[in-house]
Amino acid sequence: MEAIWLYQFRLIVIGDSTVGKSCLIRRFTEGRFAQVSDPTVGVDFFSRLVEIEPGKRIKLQIWDTAGQERFRSITRAYYRNSVGGLLLFDITNRRSFQNVHEWLEETKAHVQPYQIVFVLVGHKCDLDTQRQVTRHEAEKLALAYGMKYIETSARDAINVEKAFTDLTRDIYELVKRGEITIQEGWEGVKSGFVPNVVHSSEEVVKSDRRCLC
Amino acid sequence: MASDAGRKQFWKRNASRVPGSIQHVYGAQHPPFDPLLHGTLKPGAKPPTTPVKLKKISTFQEFESNTSDAWDVGDDDDELLAMAAESLNTDVVMETANRVIQNHSKLQEQHKLQEEQVEKEQPQQLSELPSAACGDSRLVKSVSESNTSSSADGADEVISVPRSQSLPQASTVTLVGGVTDHSSSGIPMLSEREASRLDKFKQLLAGPNTNLEELRKLSWSGIPKAVRPITWKLLSGYLPANIERREGTLQRKRKEYFAFVEQYYDSRNEETHQETYRQIHIDIPRMSPEALILQPKATEIFERILFIWAIRHPASGYVQGINDLVTPFFVVFTCEYTEEEVENFDVSSLPAEVLQNIEADSFWCMSKLLDGIQDNYTFAQPGIQKKVKMLEELVSRIDEQVHRHLEQHEVKYLQFAFRWMNNLLMREVPLRCTIRLWDTYQSEPEGFSHFHLYVCAAFLVRWKKEILEERDFQELLIFLQNLPTVHWGDEDISVLLAEAYRLKFAFADAPNHYKR
Repeated sequence: MEAIWLYQFRLIVIGDSTVGKSCLIRRFTEGRFAQVSDPTVGVDFFSRLVEIEPGKRIKLQIWDTAGQERFRSITRAYYRNSVGGLLLFDITNRRSFQNVHEWLEETKAHVQPYQIVFVLVGHKCDLDTQRQVTRHEAEKLALAYGMKYIETSARDAINVEKAFTDLTRDIYELVKRGEITIQEGWEGVKSGFVPNVVHSSEEVVKSDRRCLC
Repeated sequence: MASDAGRKQFWKRNASRVPGSIQHVYGAQHPPFDPLLHGTLKPGAKPPTTPVKLKKISTFQEFESNTSDAWDVGDDDDELLAMAAESLNTDVVMETANRVIQNHSKLQEQHKLQEEQVEKEQPQQLSELPSAACGDSRLVKSVSESNTSSSADGADEVISVPRSQSLPQASTVTLVGGVTDHSSSGIPMLSEREASRLDKFKQLLAGPNTNLEELRKLSWSGIPKAVRPITWKLLSGYLPANIERREGTLQRKRKEYFAFVEQYYDSRNEETHQETYRQIHIDIPRMSPEALILQPKATEIFERILFIWAIRHPASGYVQGINDLVTPFFVVFTCEYTEEEVENFDVSSLPAEVLQNIEADSFWCMSKLLDGIQDNYTFAQPGIQKKVKMLEELVSRIDEQVHRHLEQHEVKYLQFAFRWMNNLLMREVPLRCTIRLWDTYQSEPEGFSHFHLYVCAAFLVRWKKEILEERDFQELLIFLQNLPTVHWGDEDISVLLAEAYRLKFAFADAPNHYKR
């Protein structure tokens, strides 16, 4: 039977090659760490349900993109239909951090007229001894672009759940406030399967507002 | 032998079991018999009268039960025949079946004794019939134990397993499939058919001038392991047909390759090339964990091959996926120098000179392959974009139901088939299957580019049942990105290739004829 979920969000995970995108997603969706992982070519697809509040579940569909430049013509087609994104860099690889700006430019150019809610993720935080990017400067950069910053490790399962659920919650709030709306022909947010309750985002928004009062 | 009725019931009861039979690959001879090609049949015409008098037979099952005397060597094939009936049209089936019947009756006597032994030793083991190359006994067995046609379980299993883990690592299946040589120890049986195929190869290869056309025909349905290294080198155009020129060519090309290494390899640390090298250096250790590749000696070889190729081909450079393409060559050429199974083999036990030969030969053969598909890896990857479009167009014509189902659930071909093109299906099937696939690709004109398209189409439609059972975008895409091929062997590839050939013939030359 299909699990019941309030909304479906499509997320995209981007960042330089070998920052650990696939491993992070696998840890989140499969609960384990893959020691070896073939480089992603094109785009891979994953999915998981998350419960953001008791009884409120969101279905996440996650696009895992190839980091190598040559695949950009393929991967950029996926920005447009994503509501949220995790922008990864590797805290032990300074270059991957320097490229964060470039990734944001790249998405901005291809996501119009929509927007992606990004979280900046400093990955591989278990390798603290090899750190090349301080938490402080990463937080500063994130702030400058209006993103949250979080440090994660797929190997040690640090903050992996938090990274995805915090982002999901933030998007959910934006949807509730009507700042993100479900639109025909856009796959970023879809309203889910809620028997005997409400189906459209409008009604969800209203009922939630009532709750908050 | 069971009665006709009994046989029918038998395969119905066993609908979920896929045997590893090799009977079904009769279409996989080169060139596979096609009635259209031979002018015995026109599209839309009624089936011709055949010697076995089979007018108005609508299914292959009926055909099969009417001719059961020709198929008396084991019931395990029934499931496969049922599968074949779904995908092959009756006309083709009847013509090809006739050929099998003729071949079979000739060879029946010879096989009888052997079959009895087979049945005694391995009840699951399937009979040996004249057909395309089959793997050794272990391969056949592993396939018969697999359960590829029952969808749900297999799919679920794979969903939870990361891709890199979904291929067998240290399985009982041999890494390199193919027909085994008489001389190799431990392999109990080599059928008459296999032995005679090997002899044919040896004859062709020994002649003062190898007839490449003949070699292609013979190789199309699989190359015996013992002669695969030299046959691949000939088919790829790396080695000359003239036997006297071969040794000289090898020496010259190997020297040439190491001159490149001398000339270019130091530049990997220079600014212009360090990014290329860095990417290669990171990618090799994280490739599918075939132990062989992960050995330091092998890793170094892969790095050099890929780096030299990349900087000599700046229009594409190194693109992830190309790294996979070295593996089959490296594994096959390593087999030339060892009797051991390669998965347990210590590369560093080979003399340095031998390793150099393997390296240079792999480089040149990979280069030849890439020459044919370089536009897959140039800017914006136009070769892949084009082929994925062609695949979509092709599938829409060969199986409208599958095509519509994907369309209805908004699954785009690029979402699953990009990788099929970028990595030539290497991520979708086990390595031993890729090696068998490449026997044929190297025997086909434009095998890695054009014929691959038809293989992809056959591959997709192969999962029709499972695809139609999936009812939403998410399940479909996860299934298509994690196809349950772990237990696939040569037989599965042979079926795929026969179907691909049929598609190529039926749809390539008359593109609009079949359009609805």
